[in-house]
Amino acid sequence: MGGLKDSLRDAIRQLAFRTSLDRLRKQGVKQVNVLGLDRIIALIDAAVHTSLKSRLVDADREVVADATKAEFLRLLRSNEDLQREKSEIEKVRERTQEELDALRRELAQQQSALRVRLERDEPGAAARWQGEDAAIARKVAAVVQDLAAAGEAPVVAAALEARVVELVMDVVAGERRAGESVRKQLADRDVAMMQQRIEKLSQALALTEHKLQQVSAQRSLDAGISSIYREVQGLAASDTRVEAKKGIMAAILAENLRLQKRGTA
Amino acid sequence: MSDSKNLDAKTHGVLYIGMDLGTSRTSVSASNGVRETVFSVVGYPKDVVSQKLLKKDVLYGKEALDKRLSLRMYKPLEKGVLKYTGEAKDPEAKANLKAAQDLIGEAIRLARPRADELVYCVIGAPAEASVRNREAIIEAAKAHVDAVMLCSEPFSVAYGMDMLEDVLVVDIGAGTTDLCRMHGTMPEEADQVMFDVAGDAVDAELARRIEQSCPGAQFTTQMVKEIKERWGFVGDAPEKCLVDLPVDGKPTQFDITDQIRAACSVLIDPICKGITKLIATFDPEFQARLKNRVLLAGGGSMVRGLDSAIEKAMRERLGGGKVVRIEEPIYGGANGALKIAHDMPAEYWEQLK
Repeated sequence: MGGLKDSLRDAIRQLAFRTSLDRLRKQGVKQVNVLGLDRIIALIDAAVHTSLKSRLVDADREVVADATKAEFLRLLRSNEDLQREKSEIEKVRERTQEELDALRRELAQQQSALRVRLERDEPGAAARWQGEDAAIARKVAAVVQDLAAAGEAPVVAAALEARVVELVMDVVAGERRAGESVRKQLADRDVAMMQQRIEKLSQALALTEHKLQQVSAQRSLDAGISSIYREVQGLAASDTRVEAKKGIMAAILAENLRLQKRGTA
Repeated sequence: MSDSKNLDAKTHGVLYIGMDLGTSRTSVSASNGVRETVFSVVGYPKDVVSQKLLKKDVLYGKEALDKRLSLRMYKPLEKGVLKYTGEAKDPEAKANLKAAQDLIGEAIRLARPRADELVYCVIGAPAEASVRNREAIIEAAKAHVDAVMLCSEPFSVAYGMDMLEDVLVVDIGAGTTDLCRMHGTMPEEADQVMFDVAGDAVDAELARRIEQSCPGAQFTTQMVKEIKERWGFVGDAPEKCLVDLPVDGKPTQFDITDQIRAACSVLIDPICKGITKLIATFDPEFQARLKNRVLLAGGGSMVRGLDSAIEKAMRERLGGGKVVRIEEPIYGGANGALKIAHDMPAEYWEQLK
């Protein structure tokens, strides 16, 4: 009996919901009637016994009461198992959904990074080089002007400036070509890696989506359909062949008992 | 125990299932209103690759047939009984037992029991299945239900129709044809006749005739079975049976009307012999009544014109007779088994739990 009371208490706690007095007040509730757990349990117990008392004789009552309690505990346990199973499946589904969302976000980030990377390469280089060229030319001109000021003929200085600029540009262009080649190799490697990562992410996304579909389709989520038979079981006394059918049922049982005893022997 | 107590005890909390475990199809009728049927074939992925591709460990029925190239296929029943008998030690026999267990489990799942309900099941087995085979069916079922009973398949058909007196049931399955005469009590051995001329025999005969008369036509047993189920008839042809069969890869039309008639007609003679035997050995006073109450059941009874053809043969052999086809040949056995489960007193079920 203690087990039943504990289980009833747990069941009532599980079914109850928690709220605050403030919230109740906001809903317009001014007074509440309190019914203790022990009182509810006692009421259920009394209801079961009263119902049994009105329908059964003493000898049967205890047997049926025990059977009812056992059945109640079994149903409660099975209900708890079901709830647990359901909540586990829902957790898996939520986890998979979160995983899916994270993968989608990651994929979008990677694709955007790749786009930025590809866009920023070409146009910047030309402008940068133009600026560098102008700065080098200015520096060479300043050197030549200093030389001219020191006493060289302006015509010679101009020819010298042109020659120096040509030499410097030649060297710089060579260096730029080598640097650009290295930079392109590095960029290509980055892009290839990003593309591989995006491909992998896409695969993971497809896999996770499939997993989500599988979890959603799991049969355990199907609670099944209850039997529609309630109180119309067994042979009806009004059946015209009730006696013959009773005999047939007994014969089927005897044959099956024989078979099953033989099987376990 | 009184009837009223039975009524009280058998209330909510138990799902009753009637099952017709057949060579070709397994059908279930349940007390929650669910009725389902599945081809009695089970497939397991051949290797890890196919398992990953199919994403399942076991496939059943049509799905298994559709994916059969990637599967190890099992048809666990043959001539109406489990291939495994409990004596065989070889791996193939054990695999068939496992397939039978899985098939019964799938049939129970198709009935959609609630997780918190007990499942009580009555399974229809061939009238003359051996004791060892019956034990094997019970063992296979026990893994999935809380209590199980077996009963004779033709008997469950008659019980389902509430025709327990002076009725002769002819249950034409795929593996066997079962005949059973009912006289108000449980039928005994002398009341039953079983032979293996049934749906599979018709398929074999049709395949032989197509092979002979349609040169170059390529086909499988499954294709022949589908042709029979679509066109099967005896007597006058209701229409021409034109079927497309591949010849060297090209679909070619053949008229197989005569072949189908001839193949389906193989059922008539043995059934009439069985009927004659059961009527001739019945109480002479009730023979006339019995021969006017012949019930045709099972998938094989869907062959068009079979009832009239049997009546015609009975007129020649027995001077007359009346044959009636039941309304739902596929579910007749399962419906009857469900009715037995329903009528069985609760305390009887308790003894088997």
